[in-house]
Amino acid sequence: MAYISQLTETTPQTRLWHEVTRFFPAAIRALLTQLSAADWAALEEIRLRTGRPLMLSGARGEYMLTPEGVLTGNPEQAYRVSADDMLRTVELVTGSSLYAVEDELRQGFVTVPGGHRVGLCGRAVVDGGKVRTLKYLTGLNFRISREVRGAADQVLPWLVRGPRAVYNTLIISSPRCGKTTLLRDLVRQISNGIPRLGFAGLTVGVVDERSEIAGCYQGIPQRDVGLRTDVLDACPKAEGMMMLLRALSPAVIATDEIGRREDVEALEEMLNAGVSILATAHGASVDDLRGRPVLRDLLGRRIVERFVVLEYRHGPGAVRAVVDGGSFQALGAVRCSR
Amino acid sequence: MFKVAGALLVIVAAGAFGFLVARNYARRPRELRALQSALSLLETEIVYAATPLAEALDQVARRADPCVAGLFARVHATLASRVGTTAQEAWATALDGYYPESCLKTEDLAVLQSIGQMLGASDRQDQAKHLRLAGERLRAQIVKAEEEAHHNVRLWRYLGLFAGLATVLILV
Repeated sequence: MAYISQLTETTPQTRLWHEVTRFFPAAIRALLTQLSAADWAALEEIRLRTGRPLMLSGARGEYMLTPEGVLTGNPEQAYRVSADDMLRTVELVTGSSLYAVEDELRQGFVTVPGGHRVGLCGRAVVDGGKVRTLKYLTGLNFRISREVRGAADQVLPWLVRGPRAVYNTLIISSPRCGKTTLLRDLVRQISNGIPRLGFAGLTVGVVDERSEIAGCYQGIPQRDVGLRTDVLDACPKAEGMMMLLRALSPAVIATDEIGRREDVEALEEMLNAGVSILATAHGASVDDLRGRPVLRDLLGRRIVERFVVLEYRHGPGAVRAVVDGGSFQALGAVRCSR
Repeated sequence: MFKVAGALLVIVAAGAFGFLVARNYARRPRELRALQSALSLLETEIVYAATPLAEALDQVARRADPCVAGLFARVHATLASRVGTTAQEAWATALDGYYPESCLKTEDLAVLQSIGQMLGASDRQDQAKHLRLAGERLRAQIVKAEEEAHHNVRLWRYLGLFAGLATVLILV
């Protein structure tokens, strides 16, 4: 069994390993060092809860680690996260600067360099009925963001319209099904061009409010988002879309997790300007969206031409269906996991 | 001949000792003032620019007076190495290294130590409050240090010389 930490060549896997483990203190880093390369490849989440076992979850299910770093299902033998581990992890994740991630903390998570999302839980400090910040942080979920090149291969034939245009597309899935990963690969391929489909590259503008799509660090994308892609990092979506439209004349605008009224209004504005849209939304199916007033409105206006519905089957990124936005009929059955 | 040389040596040595002590008294207010302005630089970085702590400390280390820059550079180096040290620990360790080289008194050290407990660990408003409070306490220390310097600098300069002269007179 090859431990990923012992692999000497710098593969994307080992690079990711170093990128993730540097957010954990020595005690937990030592445990993660014991994971085999296969376990590491399947890992999606690392969960810390003060006084309770360290939990890992991914395509191979959920498991714990003993203090020696051996996988176990028995909570009695598992390594328990100490208050000190928690404190140090929070310090590393926030760069010892809670004040710098204030706005993100209010939403319950921070995005760390590399585009990984770290959910945080503790006691909310409320000011005038609104959450001002979180304190006594005792729960943490580190979600590993992976770049999957080719994730969009099977859906792209349905999304391109001729050599120089794409359909307005909304990716729908429950959390952890690979929405952002799919969106990132769509952006990359549309930006670079897709020779096998005879598709020339288009200028893509990405509004990356949570720094998850491009994983920018100090403004430089850490993920491959394509040759013709401009990234507006950490900018509120609605405002960002307008800025990109005016400043960089993109042919396609991509953004993650739309849901507020102003997002939908901005999307409409893009459409009037002749820009195509790539976006994602939470939901298990197209019908699910009708339950949310803002998104119901979006469906009513027939803005979206293609829905891509994802599900979790043997791992994230399985495409359940591509649905036509006019007739709400599925376009061909694409039930095959990546 | 030897007597004269010896007498001169004694006077110079005693005088130099007096000057050294006097210099320490004179340097303390200067260092405290440098610390105070470094803290207000840090406050600007944290409160207005929301710069992450490691980077903010690096900025301060570059722009602060060289006599205090080392303190901030040390904390920056520890945090940037990402070994899992908390900001509080990094600050305390850096102070341990910095204090013996400085001209500060233990009461000045206490003000600096109090900064470590809050560094980076709260929202902007709170950081601003704490840093300003530390700044105020440093200002009080500066006033005291200046008074002491005023009295002691001249005293020690003369004391050294006169002690040297007196020794020479007694021995001759």
